[in-house]
Amino acid sequence: MSSIPSPGPRGFSRRTLLAASAAGLALVAAGCTSAPPDDRELVTGAQADQLFDQVGVQETLVAAYTAAGAADPALAGEVAELAAQAGEQLERLRAAAPGASPSSVSPGAPASAEEARPWLRAQVAAAATSHAAACVTQSGARAALLGSIAAGLRGQDGPLA
Amino acid sequence: MADDGAGEGSGELAAENTALGLALGAEHAAIWGYGVVGAALEPASRGGAGAAEAAHRDVRDRVVALLAGRSVEPTPAEGGYALPFPVLSGVDAAALAVVLEDGVAAAWVRVLDQAAEPATRELALEALSAAEVRAVSWRSAAGQTPVTRALPGL
Repeated sequence: MSSIPSPGPRGFSRRTLLAASAAGLALVAAGCTSAPPDDRELVTGAQADQLFDQVGVQETLVAAYTAAGAADPALAGEVAELAAQAGEQLERLRAAAPGASPSSVSPGAPASAEEARPWLRAQVAAAATSHAAACVTQSGARAALLGSIAAGLRGQDGPLA
Repeated sequence: MADDGAGEGSGELAAENTALGLALGAEHAAIWGYGVVGAALEPASRGGAGAAEAAHRDVRDRVVALLAGRSVEPTPAEGGYALPFPVLSGVDAAALAVVLEDGVAAAWVRVLDQAAEPATRELALEALSAAEVRAVSWRSAAGQTPVTRALPGL
């Protein structure tokens, strides 16, 4: 046993290391790094186009939250935090893909207030699947960002169920 | 040895192996931690902890096999880990589970950042997503808000 369980600032030795790593990664994802880019950070034309596409996917999801809320105002209040998180994800994607133009893709609208929740849930699942697929073909900080967003959207499924 | 940052192989694969070693270490910690979580929960509530521990064991085994296939020495489990706070109740246990899953999520996001192989990114994405889904349930059980995260692991 290499350490005795005890409260205090040390916490999990492994976790402390991972937290430091994650903090560094966040800076990389935000483009704030002084290290020279390695091969993982080189973006091919196809990867850049795909990242632009994922901005569009997220814009459509943000619009879907708005449409679902319009169809069912009670749902709008319930999912306000989830909608805000979808917006935060969109901002991070836009920062990673400067120059991406706004999407013209409309998510449509739920057929009724009763359909709003399952419709929104399907929209979230579709966006998560799209980001996950893109994550696998990207690399470096872009893969990390897309993977994190996909995981965050998977996590939204429970509260939307 | 993957855990010391050296890894084996060269270039991008070495970086990937190092990240996988760190993720393996996080999985070891989670497996150990869920023993504490389960012990602090009422018997009727231990199912989630048991399922989570089994899921982490499965991921651990996959990472060990992956590294072994590359002749990289897997990161060994430690005999014990320092708890971040006393775990004296079911709420404490849920909060510890959140810490465990958040730690695992951060490790797998780092793998995504460092991975050279698409198959490794698929593994990382699967593990990361599963960790966040479990974390949502544990945050709810711990009374934390919001229960979801926009960018888990980042």
